[in-house]
Amino acid sequence: MSAKRFHRSAEGRTWVGKCSLLGALLLGACHPHAPGEKEHSEGPPGPTPVVSVTIEPRTPMLPAYPCSGCHADRQPHPEKYVLKEFHEVRNHEFQHGEDKFWCYQCHSVKNIDKLVTATGELVSFDEAFLLCTGCHGDKLKDWRAGMHGLLMGNWNGDKRKKSCPACHDPHDPRYPSLKPEKPPAASKGLKAF
Amino acid sequence: MKKSLPMFREPEASGGCGGGSCDSDGHEDHDEGRRDFLRMAAGAAAVGVAATATGCGGEKPDYEELLQKHYRVMTDDEKKRVFARLEAKTKALTGVTVHISDPQPLEGVHYAYALNLSHCNGNRRCVEACARENNLPNDPEMRYIRVIELDNGSQHLEKGTVHYAPEKVPQKGKFYLPVQCHQCDNPPCVRACPTKATWKEPDGIVVVDYNWCIGCRYCQAACPYHARRFNWVAPSIEPDRVNPNQGYLSNRIRPVGVVEKCTFCLHRTRNGRYPACYEVCPTGARKFGNLADPQSEVRKIVENKRVWILKEELGTEPRFFYFYG
Repeated sequence: MSAKRFHRSAEGRTWVGKCSLLGALLLGACHPHAPGEKEHSEGPPGPTPVVSVTIEPRTPMLPAYPCSGCHADRQPHPEKYVLKEFHEVRNHEFQHGEDKFWCYQCHSVKNIDKLVTATGELVSFDEAFLLCTGCHGDKLKDWRAGMHGLLMGNWNGDKRKKSCPACHDPHDPRYPSLKPEKPPAASKGLKAF
Repeated sequence: MKKSLPMFREPEASGGCGGGSCDSDGHEDHDEGRRDFLRMAAGAAAVGVAATATGCGGEKPDYEELLQKHYRVMTDDEKKRVFARLEAKTKALTGVTVHISDPQPLEGVHYAYALNLSHCNGNRRCVEACARENNLPNDPEMRYIRVIELDNGSQHLEKGTVHYAPEKVPQKGKFYLPVQCHQCDNPPCVRACPTKATWKEPDGIVVVDYNWCIGCRYCQAACPYHARRFNWVAPSIEPDRVNPNQGYLSNRIRPVGVVEKCTFCLHRTRNGRYPACYEVCPTGARKFGNLADPQSEVRKIVENKRVWILKEELGTEPRFFYFYG
C-alpha cells in the first residue's frame, strides 16, 4: 500500500516527528469545543503547521428559530398526538426511530430552544451532533476525525465542518435522493462502459 | 448567444518532439544543441519541413512553439515567455483574459484521494464541476470522471454502465463507482510514453506537458483505469465556460492532438485548496489530503477503514482509495 511506502522514508518520518512535537508544544492538549469556536488539531505536518476546524453554527439556518417565539405561551404535549399547526408535515414525514420517537425525545420540555440528550443534558441546536451521536456514537468518531461528513476550506489550512443536521434532516435522516447530472455522450460505434 | 470557438492548433502536437529523441532528464546541452541546429536550419527550408511534418498545411507555424523545450528543462525565464504566449493566444481565441500559473509541488506532501462508496449516490456533480474547472469541452464531450453504476455485491465493471439516467439516484440495488486518474505510484502510462511528455511529480500527481506530447496515445492504451483523454479535434469551449485560473500542467486549454487527464486540480491543490470534484460533492463521499500527514483525513481513512484500490492485481499502486462506512 502507498501509505506504508511513506513510513519507509526516513526523511519523512523525522519531519513528521518534528512537526508533531512543535504542534504539541504550541497547542497543548486538545479540549472539547463549542460550535463556532476553533478546534486545534495536534500540529500536523504540512505547509501550514496549525490547522483549525470550525463547526458551522446551525441556528442561522433555522428559519423559525428561536422556537420560544411561538412556544413560549403554549403548553408542551409530552404525549404523542396528531400535530395540527405549523408542524403538520411531521405527522407523515417523520422517519426516525420507527415510531418510538416523539418531539420531546430530542427537544427539551423545559426549554424549547434547546435539545436534550438521552442523559438529560441540554445542548444548543449548534451542538446537535452531541445529541445525534448519543445513539450514533461510531459516526461521532469518524466525524471528528474528518472521515465522515462535509469538510470545506483548505486541505492544509483552516477548515469548516458541517454538523449532522446539515445533511441529515433529524426527522428523516436518510440522505435525500438527487436528480443526477446528464449522462455522458455515447461514444460513436462503441458500447457503453 | 453562446459561441464555440476553435482552440489552439499547435504544430508541435504532431511534430514538436523531434522524432522521439527528446530527453526530459535535464540534458540542457543536448537540448540547446537541438535548438541551435533548428535555429540555423530555419528559413525557407524549415518552413517547408515544419509545415509538412506537422500536417498543418496552410497554417503559419509558430516557431516559438515549435522550438519550445520540455517543461522540465525550461528555465524560469523561458517558462514566463511560454506562459505569456499561451495567455495571449487564449485571449486572441476566446476573448477571455486568463492567468497561467505554475504552482510547484509542496515539500513533504503526497496527495491521495479516498472515496466513500457508501455515501456516493451517483449524482455526477463531480463530473460537471471537473469539466468546468478544467476547461473541458462539450463538443466533443470530454469528461475526466466517469461514474459507473454497478449492481450491489458486484464489481464486474464490464456489466456496469456510465449511461444511467434515472429521475433520482441512488437506484435501489445499485452502487456508484466514480473513476478518474488514480495518480498511480507505479504508473503504466508514464512508462509507455516514448517522449517522456508525461511523468510523476514529487507530490504524486501524474502530469502531461501538453506541448511535448506527440499524441501517440500509448499512455491511453496503457492506463487500466481509462483515465486519459485524447483531443481528436481542436476542442471548442464557450467563452463563458473558460476558467481563467489556469495551470500550465493542469487545466490550461489543450491543443488538438494531445492527451490530457485529471491532475487532482493541481492549480488548486498546490495552493491549499481542495479539488473541484471534492468541493462540489454534496454527499461528503470524497476525501482528499496529504497521505504523509498523520492528521489528514485520507491518512486516517487509510489507517482505520477497510480501503481497497481498483484493479489491485495490476500493481499500479494507486493514490485513490475506495472505502465503505
